[in-house]
Parts: sequence; C-alpha cells; structure tokens
Amino acid sequence: MKTPYSESPVITTTVRVVAPFALTYGIFVTLHGADSPGGGFQGGVIAASVFVMIAFAFGIGPTRDWVDERVLLALFVSGVVGFAGVTLAAVFLGGSALELGVFPVAIKWSIEAIEVAIGAIVTGVVTGLFFLLGQDRGGEKE
Amino acid sequence: MTIALEAVLVAFVVVAAVSAALLRDVLGAIVVFASFSLGLSVIWVILSAPDVALTEAAVGAGVLSVLFLVTVSKTARPDTDTLVSSVDYKAVAAVGLLFVVLLATVPALPEVGSTEAPAVQETVDGERTPYGYYIAESYEETGVENAVSAILVFYRGFDTFGEGVVVFSALVGMLVVFRKEVLG
Repeated sequence: MKTPYSESPVITTTVRVVAPFALTYGIFVTLHGADSPGGGFQGGVIAASVFVMIAFAFGIGPTRDWVDERVLLALFVSGVVGFAGVTLAAVFLGGSALELGVFPVAIKWSIEAIEVAIGAIVTGVVTGLFFLLGQDRGGEKE
Repeated sequence: MTIALEAVLVAFVVVAAVSAALLRDVLGAIVVFASFSLGLSVIWVILSAPDVALTEAAVGAGVLSVLFLVTVSKTARPDTDTLVSSVDYKAVAAVGLLFVVLLATVPALPEVGSTEAPAVQETVDGERTPYGYYIAESYEETGVENAVSAILVFYRGFDTFGEGVVVFSALVGMLVVFRKEVLG
C-alpha cells in the first residue's frame, strides 16, 4: 500500500475524530434543505468530502478498496432513478411532471425526497470522480 | 463595521484571484485559489446568500481544490526559479477594459434586499414577475422555510432534474475517458 501521503498520526487522529461529525453534518444539510440553508447539492458535497478526508489520512488506494464501488454506483444511480421516479409518479397521479402538489403528503416532504435523491447523486459522483482521478497510473492501461 | 469587513474581504479576494493567475507554481496557485473561494464564501454570507456560501465553501474551497491537487500529483510539475509567470499585457488590457465596462453597471444594481428592485416589481401589464411571485407566495404555497429550496425543487424542478443528470453524466464521461467500467 504505497501512497503519496505520509500517514502522520496527527492527520489520522484528526480525521478519525472529525469524519463522523462531517458525515452527520452532510446528511443534516441534505435532510434540512427545506428549512435551512443547504440542500442536496451542498450536503452531498460535504458527505463526499468525508471520503476525501479519509483518503488523505489513509491513502487513496486503501480507501478505494475499503469503499465498495457498487455502493457508490448504487448511490448515484438510485439518485437519478429516484428523481425520475418522482417526476413520473406525479404524471401517473394525474398531474404534470414534477407537480409535487398531487402527492398525498405535504409538498415539503416531496421536496425533501428530491433533495435526498440529489444528495445521493452528488455524493456518489464526487467520490467517484475523486477515486477515478486518484487512481494509480498503472490502472490506465486496462 | 460591515463596510470595513467587506472592504477587507474584497481586497483579500482580489489579491487571491490575481495571485492565483500569476503564480508560476501550480501547487501554490491551487492553494491560493482555495483561499479565494473561502473569502468569496464569506462575502456570500454577508450578502445574505447562505446557500451559495455553503456551495462555494464546499465545492470551491473543498472538493475542487482536492480534485486539482490529485490531478497535479499525477502530472509533471515543472520546477521553476521564478515566482510569477510572465504577463501578457495585451490580455491584461483586454481584461481591464471588460472589468471597467462591468464596473460601470454596478451603480445601476438595486440594493441587496430592496423591495424596489425591478425583479420583484410588477411589470408594465400589472403582472408579477416570476421572482416577485416566488418571494410573495413560495412560503405559503410550499410550506418550506427556505425559499431557495422551494424554487430549486418545486418551481424549477425540471431544471434541477437536468442538473442532477449533468452531474451524473460528468462521472459517466470520466469513465469513458479512462476507458473503465468501474470506479477505481
């Protein structure tokens, strides 16, 4: 596991302490998009930055091995599919595409559902971009 | 007090932006660019735009810098003795001219939060502009407390769906460039 980053105990300890809080904050920002500043885009990036943080402390390679790529894939694909699902569900319930008023729940919850879908897309894509860019050069030969 | 803070922040952002453009060392330029984004995000907070500030801090100062750093670590980094790169004065003149033209439009802008702003005034036909409608009705109509989210998802949901797909396509494009079918 050769990495370009020195595994300094200061960095690894700080990341160990900060990462759970950063992830919680990312999820908080995503879930509270309707009532406070933020939303899926911001919360997704904050959640993805947790993976970046961990990769800085423990190396990109080990972090990539630790995160199952199928989870990332499932994350951003389910985000797009979920958003499209809400769009189409409104049509099937007799409204226009994305007419959130036709759902039997308060509009606020439909907005939150879409924010969560956006958060899933952004978390998966930003983490994926980071892993792709950070891969070893040998990986390009495949 | 706020004026002094704004002046310091604007000066900081301008100096950081110019240094990012001038620095010969790529790594230094990235670090200065991150501090530029951080300064800008504080300015957004002062201008009552916390959503934009959050995005600027997370994307501009955080993730974008990291992606730049990772990219630079994969490419050859020329070692140089000079601190700043040579300046193309014709380009500076062209940019300066554009800057002056843009600066001339600033006095015409309404104050932040002004109810007299054209965007929230009625049009000549006596109808409300979309922005006037959003500001007047979105809280009541959607029941949310952040009008930005209401506009983003409820009124402009189709645009936001497109944005999500664009983000998705960015990763698909990267996979195509790297000729891979999996991440990592």
